[in-house]
Amino acid sequence: MYKWILLLFSPSFITTSFAQEKDTLSGNAAITVFTATKTERALSNIAVPVQIISQKTIQQAGSLRLSDILAEQTGLFMTTGFGTGVSMQGLNPDYTLILIDGEPLIGRTSGVLDLKRITVGNIKQIEIVRGPSSSLYGSEAMAGVINIITDKPRKNSLGVSSRYGSFNTADFNIKGSVRTNRINYQGFGNYYRTDGFSIRPNSRERSIAPIERFTQQHNIGYRLSDRTQLSLNIRHNIETIKNNITVINNGNSINSVGVEKNKDLNATLQLTHKINERFKNTTRLYGTQFNSTQELISDNGVPYLDAFKQQFARIDNQTDISFNEKLELNIGGGYIHETANSTRYDNSASIKTNRIGYAFLQSEWKASNKLTFIGGARYDHNELFAAAFSPKLALQYKINNRFSLKASIGRGFKAPDFRQLYLNFTNTAAGSYSVFGTVEAQKIINELNRLGQISSLEPSFYQLSNLQPEFSTGFNLGISFQNEQWQITTNLFRNNIENLIDSRLVAFKTGGAQIFSYLNVKNAFTQGIETDVKFRYNQYWSFSAGYQFLLTGDQSEINAINDGKVFTRDQNGFSRRLSRSEYVGLPNRSKHMANLKVQYDHQSYFANARAVYRSKWATLDTDGNGIYNTNDAFAQGFLQLNMATGKSFNNGLSIQTGIDNLLNYTDVINLPTLPGRIFYLTLSYNILNKNPK
Amino acid sequence: MNKMKQLFFVFGIAVSLVACTKEDTGGSNTVVETITVKDLPADTIIGITPGAPPTGGFPFGAGRYTFYSLETNKIIPASDSASNKWDLAFRGTTIATNSGNSGPGAGGAFVFVGLFNDLKTIPADSTFRIDNAPTAYAIPVGSNRAWYVYDGINQLLNPIPGRVLVIRTATGKFAKVEILNYYKGGVTPTATASETIKLRTQRFYTFRFSYQPNGTKTF
Repeated sequence: MYKWILLLFSPSFITTSFAQEKDTLSGNAAITVFTATKTERALSNIAVPVQIISQKTIQQAGSLRLSDILAEQTGLFMTTGFGTGVSMQGLNPDYTLILIDGEPLIGRTSGVLDLKRITVGNIKQIEIVRGPSSSLYGSEAMAGVINIITDKPRKNSLGVSSRYGSFNTADFNIKGSVRTNRINYQGFGNYYRTDGFSIRPNSRERSIAPIERFTQQHNIGYRLSDRTQLSLNIRHNIETIKNNITVINNGNSINSVGVEKNKDLNATLQLTHKINERFKNTTRLYGTQFNSTQELISDNGVPYLDAFKQQFARIDNQTDISFNEKLELNIGGGYIHETANSTRYDNSASIKTNRIGYAFLQSEWKASNKLTFIGGARYDHNELFAAAFSPKLALQYKINNRFSLKASIGRGFKAPDFRQLYLNFTNTAAGSYSVFGTVEAQKIINELNRLGQISSLEPSFYQLSNLQPEFSTGFNLGISFQNEQWQITTNLFRNNIENLIDSRLVAFKTGGAQIFSYLNVKNAFTQGIETDVKFRYNQYWSFSAGYQFLLTGDQSEINAINDGKVFTRDQNGFSRRLSRSEYVGLPNRSKHMANLKVQYDHQSYFANARAVYRSKWATLDTDGNGIYNTNDAFAQGFLQLNMATGKSFNNGLSIQTGIDNLLNYTDVINLPTLPGRIFYLTLSYNILNKNPK
Repeated sequence: MNKMKQLFFVFGIAVSLVACTKEDTGGSNTVVETITVKDLPADTIIGITPGAPPTGGFPFGAGRYTFYSLETNKIIPASDSASNKWDLAFRGTTIATNSGNSGPGAGGAFVFVGLFNDLKTIPADSTFRIDNAPTAYAIPVGSNRAWYVYDGINQLLNPIPGRVLVIRTATGKFAKVEILNYYKGGVTPTATASETIKLRTQRFYTFRFSYQPNGTKTF
């Protein structure tokens, strides 16, 4: 029996090995990227800014959740509040599309998709495309796209790994794959738990509450013929968070204990058929559901239930036609059916629906050996709001075999979400303010007005109308250099964002309670430069460094400052005019972000040190002028230092240990989810493969 | 008889001990003093109403206005509330003028957006609003409406810079007022200060004003 199993799982793949996997420098040509063009492409042939994070990088950083590894990348920073989100090119987390194997994840809270819901245990590589990509992906791809490609090993494998660290944080992975002539299967399971922690002394509420997560993913591929492949992918994620919440209501604290449960289910059925060498057709059926409930019982015994359920179903067909070696065409379209219901809408039983039909086209033309053009566009027709047209144009020019130039311009959009349309929420715990989605707002306020419960209607009320999608236009211009030892990329970017949706005070109730709703009221821009440098000193030592310079703002705010219409206070508390140089733009953005990594690699041994730096960022408008400026409150800049080292043995065993936040930096107010120094130890065992070479 | 006027008879003595500083605006022929008033109490928090929310548990003061005369730069006893002796009355974030149904005076006000020192002459076409308590005051009550913005997340109140309250006094003279701070000592607590500190130190006005006694609209 044992021998049979060994035969079935012939030796090969290693789950958590530290084996050499060339992902840098000379190995680059071998790396393929899917996300940038929705087709498999060599990384060196991509005309838009793309970054790849390899499995090896993720493992050697000791990352557990997606946010852990993204936090160490140039130009990305993690936001807190409504989960851990990622900000790219200075845009809010709402505007970065998160995909797993090309399919979108849903279940955002206040626009934030909590990246801690995603384990990194079965990731083959993470592909990060910067700049608007709605021409291929539709809504949400305004700042860019992060696509998680899960591992599909080519050979049979079975491995386990477990990690234990500070705050009783434990993580366990099992991963295996089976390959036969026709069938291949990959299975993955992850269990994660933590006690959480509190960096606020004497606080009942924990910065990170005790959490338990269980993720499993199964992928079965069946080769119908040499040309036809069918695959089914299922992912399930359950998260249980034990919350102790304290709400302060006019000086009284109300304590509540509760349980939050978030469940993700994703299923994809994919049929790929190669009609001939020139025609390939892919049909994908994707369904996903996010189900979130939060039950709270407070001291005074009043139970509270908050429930949100979202479903997303899509059918998508894509045809890739290669006319000749110079011209390729990708054409596709699909239909999306999306629903949501929530206790925070008018009636939790009433299901809100949106239907979207879309079509896209992309063409790649190799004008010469040096010059490649990509042009594409997508049209999204929405049932609930205005249509969106998203074109994109990109080019790559290889100056010589070392220098390459990339330029792209594209449009991105984000459709208004269900919350912005249907929210019907009154916070009785904090001042009884209400927030109504735009579909509800006029209806409800007019009714309240009729009943004499409105004391005043604000100017914004009269501007309420059907929400429009938010739009961005992104410009990227990059240059890269590469030789045997060096790899340098620099990218200049500018994003003009229009029609931003923001909440506005629309009315006062007779008791003085405020009513808010959503309007397309703001514009913003982000611009800057991102640079990455990698240097391989010799076969053992390598260094990498990244830096992003970022400026953000709102042109109408700058105009108001230039017109002398914005004021702040001097040291006596007297008003004075704000000058342009004091303007800081959007809050929570750091002007400078940098990272540095030193890596030592040996056949069976590695060690690394990684530093991540963020300069100060504005947090609160304390001078009351509604504009973030140097007179407001800032979070201090900080440096986080992480280290890890590991060794693998010939018997299939690997061991890794690390320290995160070595300098023990904490900021109770602005970085509540950053614990102090933490330690961990990981053991991995490759059951089927004793020799990871 | 309206509500406000009832209040004036019922409520007792306003708080004294208000510190004042004077400065010269250094003008030429019409020198108008600019006076800074510190820590004018405006129905400061004295406790929490009994019971639990939503019916109880709210911070409350005595519900009393502090009446102030810009002409004499003094707090006026509440017993004189139904007179022309006061120009402004402060209670929490509400600033009443001696006009309309708030008092018998010829008062009024409007909000000027700009700098205190830049307002040298009240434009001739300015419209002074009068009080129609409790729904509409000459100086509108509410966050981001007239002189303050309320940060609901941190439960802090900040006067908006660049807002001047242009006042017509009870006797029909003119004054300009800039609210500088809403907390004791003229210092807004930090966002992280305890709830208790935020509650106990609020409702203390620091403001500066210029009063033109000659009846003209020029400062």
